[in-house]
Amino acid sequence: MSELFASYQPLVNLMLIAIGYAFSQYVVLQAGVFSVATVGVASIAAYVTALLVVRVHLHPILAVIASIAAGIVVSAMLSIPLARLRGVYQAIATLAFVQIVLGLALYAEHLTGGPMGFNGIPKEVDTAVLLVSTVVVAYLLVAIRAGSAGRAFAAIRQDEAVAATLGVNVSRYHALAFIISGAIAGLFGALDALHGYSLTPEQFGFGALVAIISYVILGGRDSVWGPIVGAIALVGLPEISRPFAENRALVFGVILMVVIAWFPRGLVDTLLVHRRDVRLKRDANKASTAS
Amino acid sequence: MSRSLTRKATEVLAQQLLNGVAVGGVYALFALGFTLVFGIHRLLNLAQGAVFAVGSFAALYAVLRGLPLALAFLLAMAASGLLNVVVEILAFRRLRKHGEVEFGAIISSLGASMVIISVLQRVSATQVFRFPFETVPLTVYTVFGLRISLLQTVMVAASAVLVVVLSLLLYKTSAGRQAQAVAGNERTVMLFGIRPNAVYFQTFFLSGALAGAAGVLVGLSFNSIHFMMGEPFMLKGLVAIVLGGLGSIPGAVIAGLILGIVQTLTLAYAPGPLSDVLIFAILFVVLTLRPNGLFGTQFAEGIGKRR
Repeated sequence: MSELFASYQPLVNLMLIAIGYAFSQYVVLQAGVFSVATVGVASIAAYVTALLVVRVHLHPILAVIASIAAGIVVSAMLSIPLARLRGVYQAIATLAFVQIVLGLALYAEHLTGGPMGFNGIPKEVDTAVLLVSTVVVAYLLVAIRAGSAGRAFAAIRQDEAVAATLGVNVSRYHALAFIISGAIAGLFGALDALHGYSLTPEQFGFGALVAIISYVILGGRDSVWGPIVGAIALVGLPEISRPFAENRALVFGVILMVVIAWFPRGLVDTLLVHRRDVRLKRDANKASTAS
Repeated sequence: MSRSLTRKATEVLAQQLLNGVAVGGVYALFALGFTLVFGIHRLLNLAQGAVFAVGSFAALYAVLRGLPLALAFLLAMAASGLLNVVVEILAFRRLRKHGEVEFGAIISSLGASMVIISVLQRVSATQVFRFPFETVPLTVYTVFGLRISLLQTVMVAASAVLVVVLSLLLYKTSAGRQAQAVAGNERTVMLFGIRPNAVYFQTFFLSGALAGAAGVLVGLSFNSIHFMMGEPFMLKGLVAIVLGGLGSIPGAVIAGLILGIVQTLTLAYAPGPLSDVLIFAILFVVLTLRPNGLFGTQFAEGIGKRR
């Protein structure tokens, strides 16, 4: 049993990191913000941790905390100019941010190692740390979703004008979503750096951005289970079956097209809504036969 | 002595400007197709970069089969136009009837792009190809001390001709006016007997054909044709259409030219990654200060609700 687990441990670690990034993407989409900044923030956080641990010899825990702080600061600063933009424009502006971070990481060779990558990072993070981090973040997200912020997010996502009419401060909650998303991206960027021995700028490029969006689209943007299921499915599929591994991009592409056209809420949320409908109908039938 | 040095520097600058205009013409073509679909249908088609790469491959295939370049060019445009129509049918048609078009279209066309790119990767076996030597003869003209190659002349001429043809199509023909009407309100135009699906066919075909033409020109000038060649162009094309104002046709052309010049100049005087940083920083600043772009007149906010 333990041997079986050991052989799958690297895969489990990858899944947990993917879930973390998916959480970061999920928070903004949940609040109706179409930001794709997660990989850019994660890139900054990962290099901050790597530099602090390798060059400054800071304790890894302190480095992770510094990375989370960096994630919060960067996304708070991003949220100010982005408050004016919506939809496609928000997506393009955050995409520009990701490209700027990528270009700087490639250019600043004395800090990041440039295209050759940043090597020799000690591996301080194991499955237990990743699992605890994922569970804690998932719990926080459930709590946020159940609270007043979660209701505000849902209202804004469904109709911004109505939300504003009901007294929801749209730009404040957008900024809040940005900051939560940035903190999560910061945490998992730091854990990613302390898990993989090395970092390259392209690790946080357009491909990663698309992968992370795919997790949330496949899983769903409402329930916290959405990003979890999406990340596990898309990271796991290529490992389970060879044809999937050989045609990874093809499978991802087809999944994106099919899911967004036929299950636009994502698999988990579609299932949850269906179950609720069935239950409501059954209760209604029961009520009518009783009377 | 110093006078000849400054003269030399001016000449280098002028030469770089000229090279920039040639590259910028191609960006303008690509951006034009991109912005056409957005302007009329409010859809951001992220498969445009993949369609562009297919155009390059199609022309290469035709040239290797012994067809003359001009014919190969037209065939490539037709092939990429048709491919873009297929993308519209498979990735957008169902979305248009149900739900969140703006968000869904980005995701769906991203998916379509991944499918096309992985098919290209399969077909090309991940190799880098080039056009046969002297597909465009290596003639160089000297005008006012500036060197202009035949290829650059072809690039500028082809871009200019296609931009003019597209503008005439859009503003002077009945089909173009129908397209503009659909841009106004899709439901209302159906009452006037215009079939939106036919308009979608036309705009996506034109948009794909323009992307394909840009792909052929880029394939000829950089001589490196591979399955991933579309991605940087899609990102730069995005920059051009936003700078020009999403949906603005003259804006896309001017912004494409500016982008080509800025890129050529920064690449000549600064390291590669910094050029990208500068271009995307310009995009970010313009977006936050003037969300409608430098020349646009539309609203950046809440476009999803303007149907």
